[in-house]
Formats: sequence, structure tokens, C-alpha cells
Amino acid sequence: MPAGSCSSDVGAMEINANRADFPILQREINGHPLTYLDNAATTQKPRSVIQAITRFYEQHNANVHRAVHTLSEEATALYEDARAKVARFIGAPSARCIVFTRGTTEAINLVAQSWARAHLTAGNEIVLSEMEHHSNIVPWQMVARETGAAIRYARVTPRGLLDRKHFSSLLNKNTRLVALTHTSNVLGTVNPLRDMISEAHDLGAVVLVDGAQGVPRAPVDVAALDCEFLAFSGHKMLAPTGIGVLYAKEHILASMEPVQGGGGMITRVEEAGAEWMEPPWRFEAGTPNIAGAAALATAVDYLTAIGMAEVQAWEASLTEYALAALDQAPGITVFGPRDSLIQSGVIAFNADGVHPHDAAQILDEVGVAVRGGHHCCQLLMRRLGVPAVLRASFSVYNDQGDVERLIGGLERVARVFR
Amino acid sequence: MDEDKGGLYRAVILEHAKNPRNSGRVENPTLQARASNPLCGDELELTASLEGGILADIRFQVRGCAIVTAAASLMSQVVQGQDLEVARVLGRTFAGVMEGEASDLPADLAALEPLVEVKKHRSRIKCALLPWYALADAEGAGG
Repeated sequence: MPAGSCSSDVGAMEINANRADFPILQREINGHPLTYLDNAATTQKPRSVIQAITRFYEQHNANVHRAVHTLSEEATALYEDARAKVARFIGAPSARCIVFTRGTTEAINLVAQSWARAHLTAGNEIVLSEMEHHSNIVPWQMVARETGAAIRYARVTPRGLLDRKHFSSLLNKNTRLVALTHTSNVLGTVNPLRDMISEAHDLGAVVLVDGAQGVPRAPVDVAALDCEFLAFSGHKMLAPTGIGVLYAKEHILASMEPVQGGGGMITRVEEAGAEWMEPPWRFEAGTPNIAGAAALATAVDYLTAIGMAEVQAWEASLTEYALAALDQAPGITVFGPRDSLIQSGVIAFNADGVHPHDAAQILDEVGVAVRGGHHCCQLLMRRLGVPAVLRASFSVYNDQGDVERLIGGLERVARVFR
Repeated sequence: MDEDKGGLYRAVILEHAKNPRNSGRVENPTLQARASNPLCGDELELTASLEGGILADIRFQVRGCAIVTAAASLMSQVVQGQDLEVARVLGRTFAGVMEGEASDLPADLAALEPLVEVKKHRSRIKCALLPWYALADAEGAGG
């Protein structure tokens, strides 16, 4: 039992009670109870979130912002209340800072195609890091190709931390945009964003934070971070797929052009052209994912009732427990910080001599769901010097029993490949 | 233990994965191809020497999982000494079985039977077919 687990015992009891809220955790996989440790890919959904979707379609379904009838009023209220709830959840000053998207990827692409295309030119520089997910690399490469801007990558140290000195050395007066992940989706590394953002601001750069892993795992306050943009996904924080968020500072959103045209984003259309609505609606052409937004609000309620600080503490205690257990297990190499103070809910490792896909397949035979692969992080894989890794990642419903079943599964992997 | 019998990782697969046959490169190959699976990062290189349309020697260099390593090893044994075009037809037949278009392996592919279990795992089918894709794409190596 790792040190420090005492302080999380209370959290453990509270969080353990939540397992019953997740219907899918009752499933058996290959005759074994489901041990779901692929939460960095997507989390499972509590009953309340699933019911929010059903309730929307059974009770309130109508289009938003279109009609005066009762159902449309209700649907609009659900959708806009969700926007306000999400704003409060991340400390945004106003619901007008929240654009609903399909997910993190679409949110980042919106910034790339709208803000970056308008603001970047040849000679400008974009600073990313080697630990970025492809969704926080490829959209910038597309913009760079179009505008002639250059991309610089902050290095990752052998311990899996962002190399702060190297990051600082990349910043200069040509840096227009810095795009960084809050938490690495492979190593779980949590970046010291406040300092880095303020350093980028000193040189006049705009900062986008990829919050896909960070927002589900820790309190994230955009006012305190002072980032210009924050992108995150609903489905990694107990909500359904197909709903995500772009937060942006209000004056920046107001300066941005829409990327998609259609209904719901204009005030007036004439033959020669159209006038855009105010943000955020300007960026939400077409009928949005109303049920998804309502369910995201329910997921936010669920997480808020636990408390994001408690979620963070719980995942830290599980991470510590798992790191200690993996250290004891023979033939396991762990990548990344191995320190729950700067590592949040995600652990990368390999079983020596076994390809991660083979290990993941054998773990699945005993109901343990982990991911093996490059995790959309080929730059980071190259830095780690491996083609692929196994990843275990936690959410609120995981407990020490899940870690123990993972360790048991890894013993089986070792037996099969001995 | 149940884990040692049947399933994806039966003894034949594990044995070929640990000791792949015809591993390495053919010197001065007359046929060559690379194939990769972007999903998992598996990569392999096929080199072969063709003599009068016959695969006189075929070798694989694999960086990947046990399934792709064993698949390349088993395939090399099946096609060694075969006519290239006949071997390619065998590849299409095997792909048909793995992708569910045909149910049974013909007798000349019986050696691949341990791989058929893989077809139950959609995400791994490409691992078993990757060496055959390489053979389908292989071109002259300028020699």
C-alpha cells in the first residue's frame, strides 16, 4: 500500500459508492468483471447522463433558437443553461465565451481555421510541444502550410516533463501562438501552465490550452490560467460523444470569423451576403447537438457534486498506488514522471519483450481494458524511443481493485510470453 | 491453464513469434516491399529473390506484435518456392477467409489455420494480413 493512501480513504469510500451509478460496469468481458482503464480515450457514462439524453428526446425534443412553441423554448433553455453551466465549471466570466463543438479536435480546428489563418503570416512562429496529441499538432501544420508560419516543438525530457528551459528558448517576438496540453494523454504529465502562459503573454503570444485530459481530472480555471483558448471534450468527462467545448476570451471570439456558414449563425441574409450573429452562436452553424449539451451539463453536475479537487486527489491516490504496484511487478517498464504530484490519472508502461497490442489483447481476455499503441502521439513515441506503449488511465469510478486486476492481468501476460 | 490452449495466442503462434522463420533480408533482392499498420505502428519489410517467376527465397524483417511476426513467419513457409502469382492468389484467398468472405481455408493454406482465430478480433485482422499485403504490393528491386 503506497504512502499517502490514508488521506484518500475518505475519498475512496465516497468515490467507490459511485461505481453503482455506471451501468456498464456491471458487464462481464470474457467471463470477467469489466476493469475499465481506458478513460483517457473515453470515460463511461453515469446513469444520470444516459437518462438526460433519453429525457431530452422523450420530453423536450425540438430545435433551438427557432420557434416560439413550448418544446423549442425548453430545448433552447436546456442548451443555453448547459452553456452557462460549462462556463461556471471552468471559471469563465460569461456563457458568451463558450462555443459548443463536436469535441476537442473540432475546437482546436476552429481556432486554427478562424483565428490563426487570419493572424499568422510568414515569419510568425507557433510553439507546440513534443507531448501534444496529433489533434494539437496537425491543425497547426495545416495552418502553417497555408500561411508560411513556422512550428517549433518544445522538447520533452527523459522523465517525460516538458523541458521548461527549451520552451523558454523557443519564445521570441515572432511567437504568435503557443498551444500546449494541460495534461499529457500518454504520460499523465501535468504542465506548469500558469508560468508558461504568462511567459508567452510577456512576448505578446496568444495561448491555446488542450484541456482534453486536464479538464476531466482537475479543477481548471480559465480566469486563473489566463489562456486565450481552452478546448475540451465531453466524452472524456462522463458526457456523451459528439459534444465538446471551445472557451475563448470574449474579445477574441468577437474578432473571429466563422468557419462554417448556415442557419442559426446569421442575423440577416441578402443576395450579396450575410451578417453574422454575435459569438458564440456565430460559430454554431446548423442544428447543434442539443441532447449532447444537456447531457454534458448533467455530467458537469455529477463531477461538481463529487468536487473536482476530490476527483484530482482520488486519481492521484490511484496513480500512486498503481505506480507502486507496477514497480513491484517484474518485467514492467514505466514511462513518465512517476510522481503523482505532477502526474494525473494516466500511466504509460510496457511489458518487457511484449508488444503493447499483444499485452492489451491478453489483458482483455481477463476483462481489463487498456490501450496499447502510439496514442496519437508519434512525436512523443519517438522521444521515448518506443513504437508504442500500454496506457492505463483512471476516472472517478476506478478503485484499487481495478489496479490489482491490471497487475494480475500483467502476470498472465508474462506467463503467456515467458 | 486455459491461457495456454486455443485463443489468439496458441502455442504455434507464440513459437513462430519467438522464433520467426526466414527472418532478415535477402541479399540483392529482386522483389521488395514495405508495409505498415498506422494503427499500431507495426512495420515490416519483405525481400525476396525471384527466379523465373518462382519465389526462390523470401525473408521478412518485422517490427511489430506477435501476430504480425507469426503471420510473416508462417507465410514465408507457405510461399517459399511458389510461383509469385500463385502466391498472390493464395494471399487473396487468405484475406477472403480473414475478412469473412469465405469460411474455410483451402488445403494449400492449412498451415495458416492457427491465424484464423484472429478474425474474431476486428482490430487485429490487418496484423495477420500485413505480410500478404506486402507481397501483393512488392515490386522489382532494380536488381
